[in-house]
Amino acid sequence: MKAYTKLPIFSTYEFDSRFYDEIFTSNKEVREVYQTLFKLFSEYSVNDFVSLNDKAKDAFFNQGITFQVYSDKETKEKIFPFDLFPRIIGNDEWVKLEAGALQRSKALNLFLWDLYHDQKIIKQGIVPMDLISSSVNYLKQMKGFNPPGGIYNHVSGTDLIKHSDGEYYVLEDNIRCPSGVSYVVGNREALKRTLFGVFNHYKSHNVSDYGQNLLEIIESVKPKGVDVPKCVVLTPGVYNSAYYEHSFLAKQMGVELVEGRDLFIENDFVYMKTIKGLERVDVIYRRIDDDYIDPLVFKPDSVLGVPGIFNSYIKGKVCLVNAPGTGVADDKAVYTYMPQIIKYYLDEEPILNNVHTYHCSRPDELKYVLENIDKLVVKPVDESGGYGISIGNKLTKEEIEKVKITIKESPRKYIAQPIMSLSTHATYIEDENSFEPRHVDLRTFTLLGKDKDFVLKGGLTRVALKRGNLIVNSSQGGGSKDTWVLKK
Amino acid sequence: MLARVANNLFWMGRYLERSEHIARYLNVNYFSSLDAPNELAQSREFVLRSMLFVADEEELKLEKPINERDVLFDIGLNPEKHYSILSSISNAQQNANGARDLISTELYESINILNRTVKNYSAERFVKSGLFEFTNLITSNIASLRTKIRATLLHDEVYAIIMLGIYIERANQVIRIINSKYNDALIEKVNFDTPVKTSFEWTILLKCIETYDMMRRYYRKPPSSHNVLEFLILNTDCPRSIMNSLNNIKYYMSFLTKEEYPHKDSAAFLIGKLSCEYRYKTIEDFQEDLKEFIENLVDDLSLVGEKMDKDYFSLY
Repeated sequence: MKAYTKLPIFSTYEFDSRFYDEIFTSNKEVREVYQTLFKLFSEYSVNDFVSLNDKAKDAFFNQGITFQVYSDKETKEKIFPFDLFPRIIGNDEWVKLEAGALQRSKALNLFLWDLYHDQKIIKQGIVPMDLISSSVNYLKQMKGFNPPGGIYNHVSGTDLIKHSDGEYYVLEDNIRCPSGVSYVVGNREALKRTLFGVFNHYKSHNVSDYGQNLLEIIESVKPKGVDVPKCVVLTPGVYNSAYYEHSFLAKQMGVELVEGRDLFIENDFVYMKTIKGLERVDVIYRRIDDDYIDPLVFKPDSVLGVPGIFNSYIKGKVCLVNAPGTGVADDKAVYTYMPQIIKYYLDEEPILNNVHTYHCSRPDELKYVLENIDKLVVKPVDESGGYGISIGNKLTKEEIEKVKITIKESPRKYIAQPIMSLSTHATYIEDENSFEPRHVDLRTFTLLGKDKDFVLKGGLTRVALKRGNLIVNSSQGGGSKDTWVLKK
Repeated sequence: MLARVANNLFWMGRYLERSEHIARYLNVNYFSSLDAPNELAQSREFVLRSMLFVADEEELKLEKPINERDVLFDIGLNPEKHYSILSSISNAQQNANGARDLISTELYESINILNRTVKNYSAERFVKSGLFEFTNLITSNIASLRTKIRATLLHDEVYAIIMLGIYIERANQVIRIINSKYNDALIEKVNFDTPVKTSFEWTILLKCIETYDMMRRYYRKPPSSHNVLEFLILNTDCPRSIMNSLNNIKYYMSFLTKEEYPHKDSAAFLIGKLSCEYRYKTIEDFQEDLKEFIENLVDDLSLVGEKMDKDYFSLY
C-alpha cells in the first residue's frame, strides 16, 4: 500500500520526535492501520471540518450528553470536547490489552479479599504493613466481611498510556467509581452521526453491549436468598457532572435510577419509595463515593447517601457495587506493587507494564526524588482527577523548592515516577482550524462478577487539548476520541 | 416507578401541554384580531390583555402599561417569567432529565432539541416578525412529542403518569381559555352592546382549541355561546373537551390503581365521581351561571391534582 505523507489538512502537523505518534511513524509515513482513514480525512477541506465539528457538537447537545456549570449569574450547559479523528487499536494490540486489564482486575480483587481477611501478602512480607495501616481508604468495618460472589471491584477502569518506546504502560487502576464509559458509547454515536462514511472501511467492535454485561455482572452478586434481584443505580442527582452517565447506565440496564432520598431502610432491608409504596432493593450500583454513602458511618453531613445502608450491606441484605473500601487498593502507592501482587495471587507474569515508581516513604528513594524532581512526576497517592500533580520539567526553580517542602512534610503521601511521554494523536484544534498532535491516554473498562468477567472492546481515549499538556482528565480541560478496536 | 420520578413525568406532561395551549392562544388571538369585526376586538391592548389573562392572571392584576413587544416577549421567551413558553419548555426538559432513564432516548432527545431551539430563538425576531413562526414551531413540535410519547414508550405506568399530566393540564387550560374568551365577550357587550350569545369571541375560542371545523361539522350552525360551550365542555368525542379530558384522566388513573372500589379519599374515587357528574350535566345546567361553573370546575381539577400528589408522589 502506498504510504501517504502530509496532505493539505495535515499541512501544519508538527512532529515532536520525543513522542510516539499514533498516526505517523518517525519517518513521517502514515502507519498502516490509519492509512485508509487518513486518506478519507485528507479529502476534507478545513471548511468542511469546521462544519463537521459543529455537527458533532450538536450531536452531543441534542443527545443531552452535557454537564452544567454553575456561576452566580447563570447556569451553563457544556459538553466535554470531542475529537473527530478516531483512535484505532489493532486486534493483536487489543488482545494483549484486554488480557492485561482482566489480569490486573482479578489480582486486585484477590488482593482486596486478602487485605480484609488474613493479610497473607503482608505477613509474607511482599507488601509492607504501612501500605494499609497508613491508608485512609482502608475500611476497618470491612474486615472479615465476605462480599457476595467474593467480588470487590466489579467495575474497574485501567488507565494506560503508550510511551515513546511504543509500549503500553498502566498509569493507574481505578476501582472506586470509575467513570467515562458512557462517553465510549456517546463518542461512537456522535462519530456515526457526523462521519458515518468512515465506518464502511473498518471492521470495528461494537461498544453498545456494556449495559447488558454490567446488568449480568451486578445481578450475579445478589444477596443470599434472592431469586431475581431488584437492581438500581444510585446517583448523587441531576446536578452531578456525571449524571448523564448514571442515567445512561440505568437506561441501558433497564433499571431504576435512584437518589439517596428515594431509598429507605427498614429492618436492615433497603426499600425504594415508589408510587405503590415501598419496594425492596437488592443490588445497588452506587455512583457515590464511600465517604458519602452513609452518614451514620462515614461523613455525618452527607445528604447524598442513605442512613443505615452500610449496616444493611454488612448484614448481607443488599449488595453494593463496587464494594466499600476498594480505595485502599487503587491507591498510587499500592500501584507500585502491582507486579508483585499479580505474581503472588495469580502466579503469572504481569501482561501490562507498570511505570517504575519511587516511594517517598523510603529514605533512599526519597533522596533520589528530592535530587531529581525536574525529571520526575510527583503525585499525591490518594487524589484523583489529576489534582496535586507536579510535572518536574514544567516547574520553575521556586516551584521545585515548594514541591520539595511539601514532600518532606509528609513523604508517605507522595510517589514519583519518571516523566512518561504520552503518545500523541492527530487532534482537531478549533482555535487553529487544523490538526495538531496532542497527548492521549486510554481507559479500559473491566467487569468482574460471580463466575463471569467482561472487558469492553473499546475504551475512552482522553486527549489533552492544550499544546504540550500531559494531563488528559476532563476536569482539567481534556477531551476525548472515539476508540475503535478492530476485529480480527 | 419511583415516586420522585413519577412526579417529574407528571410535570413533564403538564408543561408540554401548557406550552402548546399558550402558543396556540397567542397565535389565534393575535392573527384573528387583525381583521376582527369590531374595533375593540381589533384593538391591540384588548388582545394583549386577553393573552396575559390566559398566561398569568396575576400579571394582569399588576395593571402595568401594556406594550406589545414586552407582552409578547414575556409570554414567549422571557426566562424570568414563570409563565413564558420558554420557561414551560425548559421545565419540561428538566423534568424529562430527572426521568431520562425511564423514557425513550428518542423522546428525551426530541424534548432536548426543542428546548435548545426555543432557548436559541432570537427574541428580536420573535417580537418583530416571528410570532407566527415561533408559535407554530411550538405547536407542531409538541404534537410530534405527543406522538413520540405514544409511539416509543411502553403503555404502562410511566405512560399513564405522563398522560395524566397532559390531560389534567389540558382540562385546566381549556377551561381557562373558555373563561378568557367568555370575559372578552362580556367586555364587548359592555362596550358595544354586542350580544354575548353570538359574539365573535366564540369563533376565536374554537380556533384557539383547534375545534372550529369539527364544531361546524357537528352542529352545522354558526358558533354561539350555547353550542360552543356544549361542544367544548360536554361533548365526549371532541378531543379537547373537558368531558373528554375527564374520561381520559379516569382511564389513565386506572393504570395506577387496580382497586375496583377505590377509597373515598383517593384521587381515583374523585375522578370517577367527577366524570359521572359531568356526564349527566347539560348545557342548561350551567349556561345561566357560567362563571360559577368555571370556578367550580377549576377547584375540582385542582383537587384531583392534590389527591394525586398525596396518593402517588407523597412518599417522595
